[in-house]
Amino acid sequence: MIEVKHISKDFVSAKKYPGFKGAVKGLFSNEKVVKHAVEDISFSIPDGEIVGYIGSNGAGKSTTIKMMTGILKPTGGECLVNGINPSKKRKENAQNIGVVFGQRTQLWWDLPLSESFSILKEIYNVSDEDYQEQMKFLNRVLELEKFFHSPVRTLSLGQRMRADLGAALLHNPKVLYLDEPTIGLDLVVKDNIRDAIREINRKYHTTVILTTHDIEDIEELCSRIIIIDEGKKIYDGSLENLKEEYGTMRTVTMEVKSVEKLQKLDPEKEFGTTPEQCRLELDRENNVCQVTFDKHQIQVPQILSCIMELTEVKDVQIQETELAEIVKAIYRHGNGEESKC
Amino acid sequence: MLKALRIYAPFAINELKRQMAYKGAFYLFIFISTFGSFISYYLWMAVYGSSESAVLGGLTQNEMVVYIFMTYVTGCVVTISIADWVSDDIVKGTVSMNLIKPIDYRMSLIARALGNMIYRFLFPGVIVWIGLEIYRVWGLGMKATGILTILAYIVSVAMSFLIFVLFDFCFGMIAFFTTYIFGMLMAKEALLSFLTGQLIPLSFFPESVQKVFDFLPFSSMIYTPVMIYLEKYSQKELAFVLFRQAAWVVLLYVLGSLIWKKVTGRLVVLGG
Repeated sequence: MIEVKHISKDFVSAKKYPGFKGAVKGLFSNEKVVKHAVEDISFSIPDGEIVGYIGSNGAGKSTTIKMMTGILKPTGGECLVNGINPSKKRKENAQNIGVVFGQRTQLWWDLPLSESFSILKEIYNVSDEDYQEQMKFLNRVLELEKFFHSPVRTLSLGQRMRADLGAALLHNPKVLYLDEPTIGLDLVVKDNIRDAIREINRKYHTTVILTTHDIEDIEELCSRIIIIDEGKKIYDGSLENLKEEYGTMRTVTMEVKSVEKLQKLDPEKEFGTTPEQCRLELDRENNVCQVTFDKHQIQVPQILSCIMELTEVKDVQIQETELAEIVKAIYRHGNGEESKC
Repeated sequence: MLKALRIYAPFAINELKRQMAYKGAFYLFIFISTFGSFISYYLWMAVYGSSESAVLGGLTQNEMVVYIFMTYVTGCVVTISIADWVSDDIVKGTVSMNLIKPIDYRMSLIARALGNMIYRFLFPGVIVWIGLEIYRVWGLGMKATGILTILAYIVSVAMSFLIFVLFDFCFGMIAFFTTYIFGMLMAKEALLSFLTGQLIPLSFFPESVQKVFDFLPFSSMIYTPVMIYLEKYSQKELAFVLFRQAAWVVLLYVLGSLIWKKVTGRLVVLGG
């Protein structure tokens, strides 16, 4: 159980001025700039849930993760991870969590991977039997054997990320924080990592908090997502709900025998909708007709039957609005709408 | 205590292994630092040769030879600059990777330093030391150092190591405020080689300056163990300097804890 209550974090830095003149001025001025990285965010996550924590670059995702792991102290508010306040009892909290920062490694750079694992075993006080069992499991899901004895600096990014994930899981933590775990990985490795995360969650009921820019990660793993922008929470709820709320537009693409016959079709008259709710596009060259519509207003059969009355339909494709589109729209609008959770 | 040993011992052992992984850098370090010692050896020999009195700053020419090479051995073992590691961790943001583990950051640094110290003791340290003892007996015709003196020296060096490392940790904390401390690290090195007596024995300074040095932790880092080795202290003085070293260990430990507490409140992790 993770509870985050009205947490906020400000960063104070010296004010910088542009240009050489500005650099000289900076030497003598004492002005400070306060940046609100995270402002008043609250949420709670029950055990065993996989939560996607998303936001554009610089939205404050990593800062929140760092406060939940005890690296940073919040300026205001508090957070409790299984009843422990990480900023007060960092070491006690660290025993229960596993962390992967995609852009960094917690492994010993100059040493073989096996050495890093044996140090972590001591640090987290893992017994020999647990170690053996966990290694067997990690080898199966992450395939570490192949490079287990190579120095970490010689590993490829995909291998290193798998190794890092393994290192974070060695002590079987109750909570796993993953900060962009699939950054810069190829599709096959991404799939492996996702499978591993899913399997760990299933087997040990581990709570996973995941930040990512890869929408597929979210779609494949998370049942719940939290979106933040400029340090504020703008959405908290299930994935379906988000699609329901923001992604109501659907597109039907039809290949028809003759487009000319459809030219007179007026969706407003036919379905009684406004132009925003239903839009018709015709492509004369390829004989393709595309209808974009609000799924709450019209159903697919209605459109199909209407068009089939006018002309012969050869092929039909129906597309849901993709999550990526939704998220892009939300980022662009910023905090247009407060969350309804 | 045993648990702490189990947790932090791997840091020391790994540092040892890491040092061995970069052999080239280490041989270069030995070469450059022995080179420095020989320069200072010839310089002092020239000074004694042109001087009218046989004793300078309380040291005879032969004692000076021992002083020069023992400061080298002691310096190798004691001056393990953990401030470099701290500033590195902060500039690259890797300090966060230490903070996510259930370990004490300072203890892990000290353990790493210990691994480094063991390696340096084995590699140039003990070899130069034995070489010096051989030269001392057969070359200079002095008698070999007594076992008790060696024991006192080892105890003193152990405390010197702690004083240096604890001091350096406090120094490294400056990086939390300024981010980049390369310049300060250089300044520290220059100042320390002077204040610890690596460059010139502290006994060469005027009485009043020496009194000031007595109140600073630096003389306890290198000068004290070397003077113990040279048997320059009476039994009473020996007890006093050892006690003073122990006091510095405690004081710097407490100071480091206080600074660390203050610093973690305003920690900023760089680079995402």
